[in-house]
Amino acid sequence: MKKIINKPENFVEEFMEGILAAYGDRVKTLDPEKKILVRSEKPAAGKVGIVTAGGSGHLPVFLGYVGAGMLDGCAVGEVFASPSAKKMEDMIRYVDQGNGVLCLYGNYGGDVMNFEMACENLDFDGIRTEQVLVKDDVASRPKEEADMRRGVAGMVYAFKVAGAAADEMLSLDEVAQTAREALENIRTMGFALTPCIVPMAGKATFSIGENDLELGMGIHGEPGIEVCEMKPADEIADIVLDKLLDDMPVASGEEVSVMINGLGATPLEELFILYRRVHERLKEKGISVYMPHVGEFATSMEMAGASITVFRLNDKMKKYLRKAADTPFYTNHNK
Amino acid sequence: MANRTQLAESLKKISSKMTEKEKYLIELDAKFGDGDLGLSMKQGFGKVADYLAKAEENDLGILLRNCSSEFNEAAPSTLGTIISFGFMGMAKYLKGKTSVDLPDIASAMEAGIQMIMNKAKSKPGDKTILDSLYPAVQALKEHASEGETAWEEAYKAACAGAEKTRKMKGVHGRIAYYGEKTLGEMDGGAVAGMLIFEALK
Repeated sequence: MKKIINKPENFVEEFMEGILAAYGDRVKTLDPEKKILVRSEKPAAGKVGIVTAGGSGHLPVFLGYVGAGMLDGCAVGEVFASPSAKKMEDMIRYVDQGNGVLCLYGNYGGDVMNFEMACENLDFDGIRTEQVLVKDDVASRPKEEADMRRGVAGMVYAFKVAGAAADEMLSLDEVAQTAREALENIRTMGFALTPCIVPMAGKATFSIGENDLELGMGIHGEPGIEVCEMKPADEIADIVLDKLLDDMPVASGEEVSVMINGLGATPLEELFILYRRVHERLKEKGISVYMPHVGEFATSMEMAGASITVFRLNDKMKKYLRKAADTPFYTNHNK
Repeated sequence: MANRTQLAESLKKISSKMTEKEKYLIELDAKFGDGDLGLSMKQGFGKVADYLAKAEENDLGILLRNCSSEFNEAAPSTLGTIISFGFMGMAKYLKGKTSVDLPDIASAMEAGIQMIMNKAKSKPGDKTILDSLYPAVQALKEHASEGETAWEEAYKAACAGAEKTRKMKGVHGRIAYYGEKTLGEMDGGAVAGMLIFEALK
């Protein structure tokens, strides 16, 4: 293993210290263990809070979206492991301004159980929460089992849209409904070229053949739907886009936003080569692209590969996507 | 009638039982699980018993809610979370009450089991802790009017339920990978559930 770290067991603590050192003017932690990250300023009175949580190893997901126009807080776990229910509970108590809190997070067993526990505890004290789970990964389950799919890069669009809705002072039910509506129109699929290494494990816990491509691999190395020989970028883009549009048809004349997301070790140039093809294919179908997102949004340590997300838009979603957002890791001014 | 004092005594009994049977639970769990069952039951119930011994709160709901949090912090395993949900279900049912009779206790336990089934998306027959807890609480409910013998009946039902898991195949968590191989073995979680009623009888 070659990693720029000190000790594997200090991985999370030390990158959190780095983030606080760099962006301490905008974010802070609430606990001595530095596992609860919130905005420096409390949410505006009357605003619904939005929080997420999940394991580390995916920056900018999850905590990178804590900031103006997006999330109010994020509970941070060890690499690829859920934070505790207690951390989630403490975070939600802090963020709540009396109007309730939306928990918006990816569909992973540990995170679901812990959020359920936290929310039951808060409910006991009369604090309102709503949970909306991100299940955008089309490769994780077939369409008939869409409710069991995992959440991947598409959650960034959900954070953006829900954050904008909350800034418009909508109610908890309305913000949750907006997030659900967005997620019904978001689909993602990834592919990996190399595995990733969890610091504490010290070596890759799975392998991908030297000349292979794993289609549909999850962001923790969950097996994909097919291992095949490495292909040219255009062919990969076509396979993934076809799969996404097969799962969620988009008609000619409609608008979508497209996210080409690098998994950690893929050059931006290669992401734009993918985008070039996706854009071209969509144009052929009469579908136009609004606010493309090309870069690293949801990574998997040093995994090489990418994911493609399609977000089918209407006027409301376009407005929410455009509304200003500015976090230490995300801005839409440049998109 | 039972209040804070009886609750604290009951949990102390369960905690001692789990400490006494720690090795046995570890051995059971090591077959198909990660072997942390014994330790997590000992630590979880130990923490809860310590909390109740010192607590000054009288509201049984608040006490049980805090038990849920204490247990979850001390035993952050899947079964730990499941038992924490059990405490939480009881907490919500008893919120605002400072003393309860046996039918209330049985109903509160039923609410706890219902919350476990909802959150873990599990049911009796899946080779889990529910296979002993569920029949035990049903028996407790049925015999609640008979006084102390109800706990004896609940324990018998828990034993029978745990025994029945030998004929079941695991479907949740790591045990699911072993399929047929789990036949003939009792589920560690179900045994932990049985021990709870062994302590309470």
